[in-house]
Parts: sequence; structure tokens; C-alpha cells
Amino acid sequence: MKPIIEVENLSHIYYDSQNREIRALDGVNLSVEQGEFVAIIGTNGSGKSTLARHFNALLCPTEGTCLINGLDSSLEENLWDIRQTVGMVFQNPDNQIVAAIVEEDVAFGPENIGVPQAEIRPRVEAALAVVNMTEYAKHAPHLLSGGQKQRVAIAGVLALLPKCIVLDEPTAMLDPKGRKEIVATVKKLNKEKNITVVYITHKMEEALMADKIIVMKQGKIALQGTPGEVFSRVEKIKELGLEVPIAAEVAAELRAGGHRIPEKTITPEELAEALCQ
Amino acid sequence: MSIRLDNVSYTYMKKTPYERTAIKEVTLTIEKGEYVAVIGHTGSGKSTMMQHLNGLLNPDQGKVFVDDVDINGKGTEAKKSRNRVGMVFQYPEHQIFAETIFEDVAFGPRNKGLSEEEVEKQVRAALSFVGLDYDTFANRSPFQLSGGQMRRVAIAGVIAMDPDYLILDEPSAGLDPRSRDSIFREINELYQAKKMAVILVTHSMEEAAQYAKRLLVMAKGKIVIDGDSAEVFQNHREALKEVGVDVPQAIKLADILRERGLDISNDVLKTEDLVRQIKLAKGWL
Repeated sequence: MKPIIEVENLSHIYYDSQNREIRALDGVNLSVEQGEFVAIIGTNGSGKSTLARHFNALLCPTEGTCLINGLDSSLEENLWDIRQTVGMVFQNPDNQIVAAIVEEDVAFGPENIGVPQAEIRPRVEAALAVVNMTEYAKHAPHLLSGGQKQRVAIAGVLALLPKCIVLDEPTAMLDPKGRKEIVATVKKLNKEKNITVVYITHKMEEALMADKIIVMKQGKIALQGTPGEVFSRVEKIKELGLEVPIAAEVAAELRAGGHRIPEKTITPEELAEALCQ
Repeated sequence: MSIRLDNVSYTYMKKTPYERTAIKEVTLTIEKGEYVAVIGHTGSGKSTMMQHLNGLLNPDQGKVFVDDVDINGKGTEAKKSRNRVGMVFQYPEHQIFAETIFEDVAFGPRNKGLSEEEVEKQVRAALSFVGLDYDTFANRSPFQLSGGQMRRVAIAGVIAMDPDYLILDEPSAGLDPRSRDSIFREINELYQAKKMAVILVTHSMEEAAQYAKRLLVMAKGKIVIDGDSAEVFQNHREALKEVGVDVPQAIKLADILRERGLDISNDVLKTEDLVRQIKLAKGWL
């Protein structure tokens, strides 16, 4: 099967007010397979969000190509299909809600792309069920918690039946409870609904749930691999201005003290395994 | 020198169907020189309480005192004491408005009526505290900075007011680990140098554990726990769970290891504590 996202030699260039060239993305190559869960991490300004915005053609490549489900994102006739293939969820839940009633908000997308009336209702109901918000269908979104609003935003994307969802720091503005709700929802989308997930985050513990982690630095991919491969390189990750999950940090400290802990120990379970045999 | 809430209550949208009591009969004293973290889930009343500390909200009931002056009173005394309290809101970079960084940071001190010479001095000191070189940055537009730098400018604007009480509402939200660590390092240096009070509102238990000596836990508009942060996290686990508040990750990881039979003591708060306790338990020390 061909990858759902295929990026080749992608650069995104813009000019600041003094007309200096800024390369927000610089020769990026990557592919995301159908059904994969990919996390993107990197410091502020490393190009994560710019990259993600290419995946549903909010931005177009200055150089290189970006193929979504085989469609070239720089061709205008493909926009419609690309945006139905890849949905986006942003950081601030308050900026993504357009209607005064939850179910109307979720219906906004399908209505916009001309889904027949009879089909809209089942889509909305199914989307709200997936994010566990069925009982709030008739509520006013502004009275919901941050985590609930963010789940409504996800439902709005789901109602378009996308193959892939890109989430740009969806938990940054949420409290711990809201964060857990979103993490559980996203896992479910990936594992049960087989939706491809691209998940941008500053929270390393959240990146652990991915199949693959891409680390960005100054518009380039600095490192990629499984969570085990990426987070066992503690020094490299710190040098990139990031941190590793706590179990990996503890494992590295113990290793540095000359104690035998396996290289790819990054989760609490793996650390327990290594210490308590 | 202290900030004091005396039996303060506040209700939003009073006398409407949406009426909601946000804080209820809160009594609290924070001394100058304390470093306090305030935690509690969304809607627990944290922000409402904070907005009472510098007079942004007037209590429906009770009084707020800064250095023994009722800040909701009339006259210059009350205004002056409100100025003793600096507030850095969530995402403060959204409140930057001036054309240059200098002008933005100078806004507060100027409003306070300082001379131009003193204003410059304050701006210099404030920018240096947040790690921005005056000569490089003063005349630049704040809108061309990175997110972390913009946040520093916004914090500098509050620091330039030379507050005795500094309130920070989630200062690290949305920042990467490196920017987050450097902002906290700068706040700590400022705290060490000026011995003001720092009141940190946060959703991160790691930040609360690492930086604050005292911990306030809010739930349903009340302060339900008030104590030494290490002591609270280590010994009030059930109470924290009840109000939906987490514990720092080092403590959670210690629990998992303990369940698996590793004999780790309760004396864990930060990562380095955990490493030490593991070594002790394994007989490696």
C-alpha cells in the first residue's frame, strides 16, 4: 500500500520584514504509512507546525513535493480531496468551534462539503460517540471544559471521515484531566478506527504512544525512529533542547552510574522489568 | 509584608440562571519571600482567586489586603498597594502591543509615573533578568521574536513594575522544555535577588514540586490543602486523588517500582530523588 503522506525534499521559505530568507523547512523527506501513529517533537520554531500544515495543504511547498494519498498538494484541483483526507485539530479549542450547539458544530464540516442531509445526522452521531460526547450533543460548546471542547473539535474532523488526523499540540492548553481525555481519544482513533495520526507535542510522555517519532530542528529532521530508538539517545535529545520521558531519564542516570540497564528502557514498565527481575 | 484574603467569596453572573460561585469563604495569607504553587483542576477557582490578589475582581464578600491596605478601597493608598502585585497572565505574549520591545516593557513603569531615566533603568534591569540583551533587543519589534522570547518580553513588562508579589499563571504553557527551563531559571534568580513572593499557578505537578516550597490545592472554590509541597505530594495522595489532582511523575514511577517489589522509600519528589532511592534499594550506594 502506498504511504498516505509522502514528502520529498520539502522546503518552505518565507521572507521577514527585512527581506531576509527564512527556511522554516529545509529539505525534509518523510513518509507516513496508512494506519501509522507518528509523533513530531522539537523546540519552538523548529518547523513542526509548518510541516504539519503541509499535510492538509494549508501551506504549499516552496520547493519539493508533498503527496497526500498520492495527490500533489501544490495543485489546486487536489485541495478539496486532500482536505477531506487529512483533518486538522489545533491547540486552542476556543478557536475551532463555530456553532452555538455541539451537534451543529460537528455538522458544519459535512454540510460544507455537501454531504446529503440524510447522511449528516448519522455521521454526527457516530463522531460524537467516538469522542464520548454523545450526551453533550445539545449543549452550548462555550460552557464545556477545555478537554470536552477539544473532543468536539476532533468530532468535527471525524464527521468528514478523514483517513488521517493531524493534531498540533492538542493538549497544550488543557489541565491534566483534559489531557488524559484527549490522549485516550487519539489512541482509540488510531487503534480501533485505524485512522492515521500525526501528533505534534512538547510532552514527551505523550510522544511515547507513537509508532514513530520525528524530531525536528531548524527546519530539518534531526532524528527519527521508534520511541525506544529516539528516547534512548538521552544526550542527543537534550542537545536538541528537549527532554526524555522520566523512566528513560532514570535509566540513563543509572547506566551512567555503571549499572546494567538495557539501552531501550523508556517506559515505567520497562524500567520496572529491568530493576525487578 | 503580606497579601491576605479574609473570608473572600465571589459569584459570577449573579442573579441569572448561570450564577456560579467560583470561590467561597477563602482565607489565606502569603508572606513576601514565599514561593507558592497553586494547583487544582479547571474550574476549581484558581484564576478567580488570583484575580482578587491585585484587584481585578472585587470580592462579593470579605476583604483583600496587601501590606495591610484594603486594595479595594478608594484613594492612592489602595492604588499603590495594587501596584505592588504583578500579574503575568496565561499566554502573556498575546498582550504585547507596542512597536518596540522597549516601549512595551516601559508601559507599566511609565504609567506608575516614574521619570524617563528611571523608566530606562527599570527596563534595562527587567530585560536583563529575562535574559534579553538590552542593546540587541530594545529597539526591535516584539512581534518578530520567537514564542519563548515574546513571553520573556511580557514577563519583563511585569518585572519592570518591581512587584513585591509576582503572580504567574501557567508561565510555561506551550513552551518547549528548554524555553520552559530557562524561564523558570530566570524567575528563580529574580526570586533569589528580590525576595518577593512568587505565586505560581500551574497544571504541572513537576513544576509545583520542583520550584515551590508551599503548595495550595484548590477544589470547588476552596483551598482544600495548604502545606509544604513535598509533604503534601508524599503524604496526602488520597486527598489529592479525590480532588482530581495528579502527583509528580517521579512519585508515580516510584509507586510502580514499589508495586513490583522494589523497596523504595517515600522520600521521592524529583527525578534525582528517585535515582538515589533506586540505588539505595538495589544496594548500589
